[in-house]
Amino acid sequence: MSHNRSAPAEDVLKVAGKCKGADGPSASSVLKGAQNAWDMLSDEQSRKHINTGSADLNNILGGGIHCKEVTEIGGVPGIGKTQLGIQLAINVQIPLEYGGLGGKAVYIDTEGSFMVERVYQIAEGCISDILEYFPYCHEKAPSGQKRLKPESFLADIYYFRICSYTEQIAVINYLEKFLEEHKDVRIVIIDSVTFHFRQDFDDMALRTRVLSGLSLKLMKLAKAHNLAVVLLNQVTTKFMEGSFQLTLALGDSWSHSCTNRLILYWNGKERYAYLDKSPSLPVASAPYAVTGKGVRDAVSSSCKRVRVT
Amino acid sequence: MELLNDVTENRRFLPTGLQGIDALLGGGLRQGQLTEITGQSSSGKTQVCLCSASHVAAMQLGAVIYLDTSNSFSPSRIARIVDGFRISLVTEPKNVKLERVLSSIICKSVFDIFDLFEVLRQLELSLKNKVNNGSSKICLLIIDSLSSLLAPINGGKYPQGRSMMISVAMILKKLADEYNLSVLVTNHMVAGNGAPKPALGESWKTVPHVRLVLSRERGSNICAATVLKHTLLASGHVMRFAVPR
Repeated sequence: MSHNRSAPAEDVLKVAGKCKGADGPSASSVLKGAQNAWDMLSDEQSRKHINTGSADLNNILGGGIHCKEVTEIGGVPGIGKTQLGIQLAINVQIPLEYGGLGGKAVYIDTEGSFMVERVYQIAEGCISDILEYFPYCHEKAPSGQKRLKPESFLADIYYFRICSYTEQIAVINYLEKFLEEHKDVRIVIIDSVTFHFRQDFDDMALRTRVLSGLSLKLMKLAKAHNLAVVLLNQVTTKFMEGSFQLTLALGDSWSHSCTNRLILYWNGKERYAYLDKSPSLPVASAPYAVTGKGVRDAVSSSCKRVRVT
Repeated sequence: MELLNDVTENRRFLPTGLQGIDALLGGGLRQGQLTEITGQSSSGKTQVCLCSASHVAAMQLGAVIYLDTSNSFSPSRIARIVDGFRISLVTEPKNVKLERVLSSIICKSVFDIFDLFEVLRQLELSLKNKVNNGSSKICLLIIDSLSSLLAPINGGKYPQGRSMMISVAMILKKLADEYNLSVLVTNHMVAGNGAPKPALGESWKTVPHVRLVLSRERGSNICAATVLKHTLLASGHVMRFAVPR
């Protein structure tokens, strides 16, 4: 199970020998493949985040969606989960010279909500924004301009359509091999994890076990291949403290299985995102909007931000 | 009598740096013991782990091993916690201190139960060597979270899952006792009949020396910890504490 978890032992030793801490024990002398937090810190600080399209949203997420972490995004139908998912699949491809990651995306669609026309629109919107921010680059680098076509953005999304939970499990198992072959994938989006698991499941204990197994696999993929995993989840009602409240689907055990959780909700007529769980960031919320170009800042947010800070 | 001496001299309390929890546990996480933290998702379990790791490392009590199953070990968060410490034992420049603290926290990702067995075996081997040549000692082992490793194999008709859980428990207790480690593990909450209860069931219940339940009010950074089980103190005490920003 763990054969590709770490580099060969000699390499690890070599690396660890170089970065021995001040007076702490060298990490690999205690555990093979372990790292000390000092090295991890510099590694983390050099890492780039995936832009969500909205500056406010990036702000509460600490710069965007983090690689090597599993982020769950949940919300009521129509709030823009899929929009955000598609936006991330496009934004991960923003070339390095424009401040992006220049990676590719894997999109696992369980509900059939991946609309190619919409993806094309979002890709166009993304390109026009890039050209707006970097007009000089556009003129200077003809090679860069050649790449910036919506078609090429679409070509770099690997799309899987899943029709049952068995297929979903199979695809996640297959991903390990797939990612081994496609090293430039930086994000895996599953839209949504929930759909097939909400029906035809009699044995709920079995469902819990299968799901927790899946989440561990996704964690492992995220860490081993340095990519972000984004899981979209639906909501359900739960009876709590005498009233029905909306919570994310798949139950309490599943709620532990992500690194970060972002909840999207309506506040009056505005869309808001709430960072519900994160190991490194405080809880916070921010407005955002879904426009023709994709996910962007809410229009009226500029005056609000002034008031808050 | 010898036992008592041994206990009072060698079994130190490792402070978590969170006043509420330290007061609750009579000083912190005891060496030689297994402490379990359980709580709902985002109730502050990982924060307690990160806080204790950085506090123990900052006080120069020893090295910390952090086994991470949910990619939630965040060095930048630790750096912020370390920055927030008001008391400094020795006057040293900020970045030197940061490097010292961070390099005595060793992190390893573990994604399945067999990995965990392998890691614990290696750990025991290296601890054995450490005792022989007497270099810098490991005093705290954190597993965040143990239950996510056990969840895929536990339950159902198959008894293997449970026996693996018990052998993890045995290994952890052995490590804790022989090498004077303090072991901190986290556990989930699952929906029980009516109220949520800690996961892993009845046979795990007897394993940890100390069990804590955390809860947090939505949208605030104030957590409440309740003692479910403790070898020395009466259970049922509740303490509030704030997770540092």
